[in-house]
Amino acid sequence: MQEISVLFVGLVVLYTVIAVADQISIQCGIYTPLFAATFVGFLLGDLQTGLIIGATLQLMTLGVATYGGATVPDYLSGAIMGTTYAIISGEGAEYGIALAIPIGLLLTQMDILGRMSNSFFQHYADRCAERGDYKGVERANLLGFLPWALSRVIPVMVGLIFGETVVNSINAFIPAWFMTGLKTAGAILPAMGMAILMRYLPLKKYYAYFIIGFIMLAYAGSMFSVMAAALLGLALAAIHYSKNKNAGAAAAASANGMLRIDDEEVEIDG
Amino acid sequence: MANQTENKKLTKQDIRKVYVRNLFALQFGWNYEKMQGLGYTYVIMPVLKRLYKDDPEKMKKALKMQLSYFNTTPAMAHLITGADMALEEELGIESEETVMAVKTGLMGPLAGVGDTLFIAIYRAIVFSIAAYIAMQGNPVGLVIPLLACAAVLWVRYKFTYIGYNSGRKLATSFADKLAPITEAASILGLTVVGALIPSVINYKTDLAFTMGEVTFALQDMLDKILPCMLPLGIVMLSYWLLGKKNINSTKLIFILIGLGMVLGNLQNMLTCVVGLF
Repeated sequence: MQEISVLFVGLVVLYTVIAVADQISIQCGIYTPLFAATFVGFLLGDLQTGLIIGATLQLMTLGVATYGGATVPDYLSGAIMGTTYAIISGEGAEYGIALAIPIGLLLTQMDILGRMSNSFFQHYADRCAERGDYKGVERANLLGFLPWALSRVIPVMVGLIFGETVVNSINAFIPAWFMTGLKTAGAILPAMGMAILMRYLPLKKYYAYFIIGFIMLAYAGSMFSVMAAALLGLALAAIHYSKNKNAGAAAAASANGMLRIDDEEVEIDG
Repeated sequence: MANQTENKKLTKQDIRKVYVRNLFALQFGWNYEKMQGLGYTYVIMPVLKRLYKDDPEKMKKALKMQLSYFNTTPAMAHLITGADMALEEELGIESEETVMAVKTGLMGPLAGVGDTLFIAIYRAIVFSIAAYIAMQGNPVGLVIPLLACAAVLWVRYKFTYIGYNSGRKLATSFADKLAPITEAASILGLTVVGALIPSVINYKTDLAFTMGEVTFALQDMLDKILPCMLPLGIVMLSYWLLGKKNINSTKLIFILIGLGMVLGNLQNMLTCVVGLF
């Protein structure tokens, strides 16, 4: 079994802090299981396992996003720990996926705790506002990052420091048929990500495009790739847009009057 | 526009500061009580400082008003902070009620469009393609989200100025304008989701029936009807389950893990059953 070094824990904790910042700000991707698992895989010298764990978790959670402040399972921490356990135990990607999911679900509570703690800073800011202390209000918002970061960093640190113990006890107790089942579960779990997206996208209205995408890859997967399907989708979207843009503008014109339209056109360019 | 040439109190620097703060710090102070209320106040602070720094009474009033409940898609918030800047610049503290109305009136409709466009569709396209490439063991896919993010940052910069230049007029007309783009993006998203199912759900059944000398492999038979029928079936089952009132994504995970347990051990189970006779 591979050892977990202090340097590794330090780097991963630093990564987690940056990832949390990304998650609540621009969401460029550092916060996703895909990036996190790849990073851990890279650090432990097994990029492939990291990529596969990350990609599977990513596809599974495609539609799982925080809309309007709802809490979702913490798959970032789950991916970090799952990948670490999979690589140090040498059990392979499925093992990591199978562990990342329950860890993520368990840590849902930490997110709620973090968001609740932030009420403290809201109250602090309210008091500052009474005095007109704008610097205090600014400070309150910046300090609000602490509960966010700690709610992820603490579990990740604990999980990594006790990593080997965790892995050993899991291996001692889990039967072979269960691992076979988890392997299959890992293969079908991305279905959830697709299904959630289909719930958010207007599937009933535009199911034809869904069928086109499916058929391309189901029958001619060796000729096409998802990238090819995306480009075809882009072309179809462009056709739909150019057909509807004029209809939409005409409808808006009759509703708002022509003057408004001219006005807005300029502003969007500017 | 006339109001800005007459009344330019905010510098380019101020507007840029608001943009950057909106990018990074809008959700730092997120809490269940006021959600992004604290973050919004932080974002708009460069404007408050510029206008009310030397007048504690006005500053107090402005802070209290801004600290109220706020929540929207972070990418769309730029339109609101932009409009807020224009209003406060033009009317000063007199704008209080209007700003409040703009904030509360716009955050809902903009979140409706923003969550679909910047979260659901964005992920369906950008992160699914990245994950698809990564699944084949290629880290190059990770560059895609970074490039897409750069594009989003540019869009958000534009949003700040669209909000600032159109001020109060903005209202829902901009959301209407985004509607055809959202529709078109949905088409792209659905095409990609359809294509993902056969390519990333790698489940094939190994179930085989032996009748005398002949062995029928179930997968071969299914492939003749429709290739990737099982992955499609599992997705449609999940889709249908998610439509049920009491099923959320967490419950669905357990259902799929259970299904995996059964499907993964199906051949063994069958052998057991056959062995009984």
